[in-house]
Amino acid sequence: MSRRLHIEVFRYNPLDPNSEPHMQSFYVNEYDSMTLFIALNIIRDEQDPTLQFDFCCRAGICGSCGMVINGRPGLACHTQTRDLPDHIVLHPLPVFKLIGDLSVDTGTWFRDAGARIEAWVHNDHEQFDPKAEEVRMENDLANEIFELDRCIECGCCVSACGTARMREDFLGATSIARVARFYLDPRDERNEENYYQVIGNDQGVFGCMGLLGCEDVCPKHIPLQDQLGIMRRMLAIHSVKGILPKRVLEKLQHKGCCHESH
Amino acid sequence: MDASTLTLHVRKNGAGVGRLDVMQMLSGVLLIVFLWAHLMLVSSVLISPKLMNAIAWFFETTYMAQVGGPLIGLLIFAHFLLAARKMPWRAQETNAFVKHSVMMHHKDTWLWLAQVGTALLILVMAATHMWVVLTDLPITAAKSAARIQSGTWLPFYLILLPLAEIHVGIGFYRIGVKYGYITKANRKWYQRLENYMMGGFITIGLLTLIRFLFLTV
Amino acid sequence: MQIIYSDLLCIGAGLAGERVAVEAAKAGFNVTCLSIVPPRRSHSSAAQGGMQAALGNAIMGDGDTPDVHFADTVKGSDWGCDQEVARIFADTAPIVMREVAHWGVPWNRVEAGVHTYYKGGKPFEAEEKLEKHGLIHARAFGGTAKWRTCYTADGTGRSVLNTLDSMCLRYEVGIHDRTQAETLIHDGENCLGAIVRCLKTGELKAYLATATLIATGGYGRIYKATTNAVICDGGGQIAALDTGLVPMGNMEAIQFHPTGTVPTDILVTEGCRGDGGTLLDVNEYRFMPDYEPEKAELASRDVVSRRMQEHIRKGLGVKSPYGDHLWLDIRHLGEKHITTKLREVYDICTNFLGVNPIHDLIPVRPTQHYSMGGIRTNRDGAAYGLKGLFSAGESACWDMHGFNRLGGNSLAETVVAGRYVGKKIVEFLKGHTVDFKQSAINDAHAKVAARIMEMTKSSSKQESAIQLRDEMHSTMMDNVGIFRNGKDLQKAVDTLDELIDRSKNIKLQGTAIGFNPEISLALRIPGMLKLAQCTAYGALMRTESRGAHTREDFPERNDKDWLNRTLAYWKEGSTRPELKYEDASPYFEIPPGERGYGGGKIIAADIPEEKLRLPKNSAEKKKAKQTKKAS
Repeated sequence: MSRRLHIEVFRYNPLDPNSEPHMQSFYVNEYDSMTLFIALNIIRDEQDPTLQFDFCCRAGICGSCGMVINGRPGLACHTQTRDLPDHIVLHPLPVFKLIGDLSVDTGTWFRDAGARIEAWVHNDHEQFDPKAEEVRMENDLANEIFELDRCIECGCCVSACGTARMREDFLGATSIARVARFYLDPRDERNEENYYQVIGNDQGVFGCMGLLGCEDVCPKHIPLQDQLGIMRRMLAIHSVKGILPKRVLEKLQHKGCCHESH
Repeated sequence: MDASTLTLHVRKNGAGVGRLDVMQMLSGVLLIVFLWAHLMLVSSVLISPKLMNAIAWFFETTYMAQVGGPLIGLLIFAHFLLAARKMPWRAQETNAFVKHSVMMHHKDTWLWLAQVGTALLILVMAATHMWVVLTDLPITAAKSAARIQSGTWLPFYLILLPLAEIHVGIGFYRIGVKYGYITKANRKWYQRLENYMMGGFITIGLLTLIRFLFLTV
Repeated sequence: MQIIYSDLLCIGAGLAGERVAVEAAKAGFNVTCLSIVPPRRSHSSAAQGGMQAALGNAIMGDGDTPDVHFADTVKGSDWGCDQEVARIFADTAPIVMREVAHWGVPWNRVEAGVHTYYKGGKPFEAEEKLEKHGLIHARAFGGTAKWRTCYTADGTGRSVLNTLDSMCLRYEVGIHDRTQAETLIHDGENCLGAIVRCLKTGELKAYLATATLIATGGYGRIYKATTNAVICDGGGQIAALDTGLVPMGNMEAIQFHPTGTVPTDILVTEGCRGDGGTLLDVNEYRFMPDYEPEKAELASRDVVSRRMQEHIRKGLGVKSPYGDHLWLDIRHLGEKHITTKLREVYDICTNFLGVNPIHDLIPVRPTQHYSMGGIRTNRDGAAYGLKGLFSAGESACWDMHGFNRLGGNSLAETVVAGRYVGKKIVEFLKGHTVDFKQSAINDAHAKVAARIMEMTKSSSKQESAIQLRDEMHSTMMDNVGIFRNGKDLQKAVDTLDELIDRSKNIKLQGTAIGFNPEISLALRIPGMLKLAQCTAYGALMRTESRGAHTREDFPERNDKDWLNRTLAYWKEGSTRPELKYEDASPYFEIPPGERGYGGGKIIAADIPEEKLRLPKNSAEKKKAKQTKKAS
């Protein structure tokens, strides 16, 4: 069973003028149920204390440890070494600003995207009445909204997106799925025109080229491309309102988190 | 003109990009339909050259070829312009995308590069094909066969046929994906459909070419 | 040195930190949140189960009121909590749940009609009322009389955190992530902010603020086997303790969660047992009903953990290379239930353990989970000892949990305390001005800079931070676990004495320009050792068993001598805290009594008559409220 893993890690410290981007090899003995979280910590504890990487919950819930593992963006903490060959190559996520080695700045990127799509429920927040009963909602709808709230903002989908790699102002599947979450939520009072202003452009939903990288790497298995499709169709229809007859448009319209049958 | 064209700090209103996207999609759909229909019509030679001649005669006497032909040419060009908005024109973009495709070893990502490549070749080759055919009306099985048998045109069509069918097949699949008709649940099924259709049309096309090659003029 | 000024500085941007930030930002104050990780990665996001609030919408929570919730909380705390605070909590919780619903939390809702639920692994049917259709639903959690835990599938923490973070965006709260507060700036009387290390560049910056909030969560990382995230190293508590002025409350009160998985220590939610999961031993025999006939798997966490440990000690645990464990069985809940309502559990099992919970048993053992103790605050969330310093959430000892907290109460505490303390901070900010003394800022900065310089440059030092951490881990695991006794605790205290001495000689192994991850650990270890010592020493001195604190040599709950709260102060240069004690509660709305589970003897206290009543003004208020309701 016990293999000796050859782990090749991208090293670069942008703050050190003498640092050159390069790959560095480490060797680690594999144990049962070993994950990349365990392996990288062994490397840092025993071989190189300056190695930079990010872990937080180490349980696949927080999204800190996105990195490119043998070419595919994924979460290191829930990648078991037994599922990988004995030569493992680790790169930082592209698109995001490199902090050092495997560590990238996703926080700034996501906050910027959040501000651009105005990622909050738009209603009159001051109007909350502490004595009143909560506004009712169907449980199925609550579940659908939560389905999209499960995004952990690990950045894997953005790194796996060809458009995002080419054009740094592209909002990515994660942001558009976030808008889809608000579109689904009756508490958000924005209308289609409001959403159009936010993502009805080449930086938003019309920039997507349907490469499906986002959906294929999403560690939470969120149906991202489906959301992109729903939003694209909604906003495309919105843009030709008044040209095509209303009845045709309504037929094409489609809302929901997961797919109802066509 | 609205304020947003004077300064970037006023929010852009209006339908612009959405309409462009719809037009790109619609022009694509029309071309897909056209190409498949075109292939079916040409392949009528497999049944009999007379049938093909009759179909060609019908399209010419109704002036559909004379008018429709150039229109299709325009449509192709318009589709190219619309879709080219997404193409990696800057060296930096091409570089990033190629590197990305190599890193990801992910089929759908590679398919897009294939689509960009085929698009550029088709633009030139389809124009050539149309020029040759439409400047030498009427279309007859004999004239087509002569062209194929002349030597230089056979390799030309052997390249153009798969390029066009691949581009159209991928395009068909990608429109479904982008507009949310092909979903996580039915993606596998559509991928298979796309492969079968591409294979099927290329086979029919090849058979047609072979028929022309061996048709006695 | 860069200096950044705000009205309120929140150290920590999890649920409690962001809830306070939103409250202050809504009131028009300038707020900055510091966070080691981007806020949505805070450990709050990992909380799966839910938040307790007596809404009484679910049929199984029918007739629930804040009074029942309050009683459950007090019993759960083993009468160690501050009853005034527990009352504030139980009364406000329903409002807060509705408020976050208004902001966008997709709580699961009541669906009218007959549903199949599980209790103790057995299915039963119950009919949800039509008039409650669409209101916030609730599930069962341990130690409660009613089903009152509001939830969003199994990602409650995630969805509430997303919502609060979106409100921070909405109200333009400044978020400075990848920053670590290293020390508080204070003038001996007022807290003036913090010296902060940027985790992108390694640079030190001064953040000045009129009010400073510590909401950094727990300090579970002093244990090796903990469900806490890597960042839960007690940074906030350390900064407060290091002032020498602010005490930690009840540091010995550490909760172990019954279902940490083996070997990765990742938590699977109490929702598993709430929904009907059972615990099995090596013979796949369900043993909990033998110990706790009535509540079985759903007794409070301290009881279940203790019973599991007891059972393992009888040799009935499952042997594994990672130590003995027991089984959690949720197979009978069925594929649909497991892959929807317990999906996070399903993911954890398949991704981290290679176990499929639909067909296989899940290996579990009690694992360090929650720290009831922390920075002692008054009921307004203001820390003892420094003006302008506040704390909320797990980092605080507000003290509604006493010696054991109920599942679902801590997650609810973050937002309930966040709202309450937030309002108090707004009041404080409105009526307070503070002078920022340059000397205080420079002193604090010099202290941190000197520490970094010493561990980087000094040649006479040779201790490794990693080595010290590992020794602390094994000491705490072996001697300050679920079952404690005087001998082991003494051993732990002695070892920690030595480790604290050695921690003055930490030397870095490598060097890096800019941010160096090794410095983060090296800066943290001395403080973590102090927190560990507060825990061990407090546990050694508390010669009774209460809640999660179980002394084999003092098995009875001793209300006569120990109905109080430990306050640990740290004087610089010392290796042990200075312990003081204060009354557990200003008054006892519910006098100390039997919990109804867990067993054990109680040595009764003589509590003066006037402390067994509500104080006059709050009793009158309550009466007025009731008459108003009646009319």
